[in-house]
Amino acid sequence: MHELSMADAMVKTVLDVAEKNDATEILEVTIEIGKLTMLNPEQLKFLLDVLVEDTLLKGAEINIVEVPVKINCNECEYTGAANMDDSDHYLAIVECPECGQRNVEITEGRECNVKNIKIEKEEGDEDA
Amino acid sequence: MHKIADVEIQHDIMVANSKLADKNQKILDDADVFSVDVLGAIGSGKTSLIETLIQKMDHKIGVIAGDVISKYDAGRFEKYDIPVVGLNTGKECHLDAHLVKHAFGDLPLDSIDLLFVENVGNLICPVDFDLGSHIRMVVISVSEGDDTVEKHPLIFKNADLVVINKVDIADAVGADQDKMVADVKILNPEVKVIKSSLKTGQGIDEIISSIESFMKQ
Repeated sequence: MHELSMADAMVKTVLDVAEKNDATEILEVTIEIGKLTMLNPEQLKFLLDVLVEDTLLKGAEINIVEVPVKINCNECEYTGAANMDDSDHYLAIVECPECGQRNVEITEGRECNVKNIKIEKEEGDEDA
Repeated sequence: MHKIADVEIQHDIMVANSKLADKNQKILDDADVFSVDVLGAIGSGKTSLIETLIQKMDHKIGVIAGDVISKYDAGRFEKYDIPVVGLNTGKECHLDAHLVKHAFGDLPLDSIDLLFVENVGNLICPVDFDLGSHIRMVVISVSEGDDTVEKHPLIFKNADLVVINKVDIADAVGADQDKMVADVKILNPEVKVIKSSLKTGQGIDEIISSIESFMKQ
């Protein structure tokens, strides 16, 4: 539901970094979105496509990578992937796939990370 | 000539918000203010519950009233002659740590010992954004339907206190209030779940004692 503001923040972050690195063109952007964030990747992609109009980002390939959910179990000390099979977020956050207990903590899957960009710049420019 | 360069950014917007939230909590701790996030569905009774707590709790209370248009809720709190800051979120569906930090500047934190931060009525978006408060109280009511918890698991997973309000009308709206309690317990076995009615007064003392026991921790 807040994809617009998040997309806006991402575009600003990317343009800022691109400018600091003297980019003449942005070829590719990779964004990581945790599966448990309240963000819909398709909506996010749509809004990014709208927001990049008239910016250096126009035409760049935008990769949205979904980050799977990982949990720590406080009962059996299982650490690893949550069971997301046939679940709509429910099982993953309540049940340890190892011991079945519900005392689990989410360690990954809530990211909203602008990971990296691939840019084109003038040869000879110093790296920022 | 042009060359291609890979630039690592690693800027996580959620982490950036969490860092601001940590700073907010430090500001609150330095001022000896205990802060309670009040989250919940539209019309679940968040504002009315805070009004009741203002009247019944023996503390120096302040409120940050966040809403799409905050003047309505802020106006309700101002009647009690307490410090209130309205936070308009405009088109946004949630408060974030940055907005709350700004509100601190308009609050006399030194003359408050308990702060309620009322979020926008929404069970989805506020989940992602820590604000820096010490506990999260989630308020829902039976009139939203007894499948509300199942449909919005994450907000309950992260709650410190859950209030199921308007239980006096559960039968009238055909909601199974005990199912709602059980659903919360599946997601968050340790959390305290209080059935309340602001009309009959049910559960109010329990909510107050729960908040006060968190304050003592």
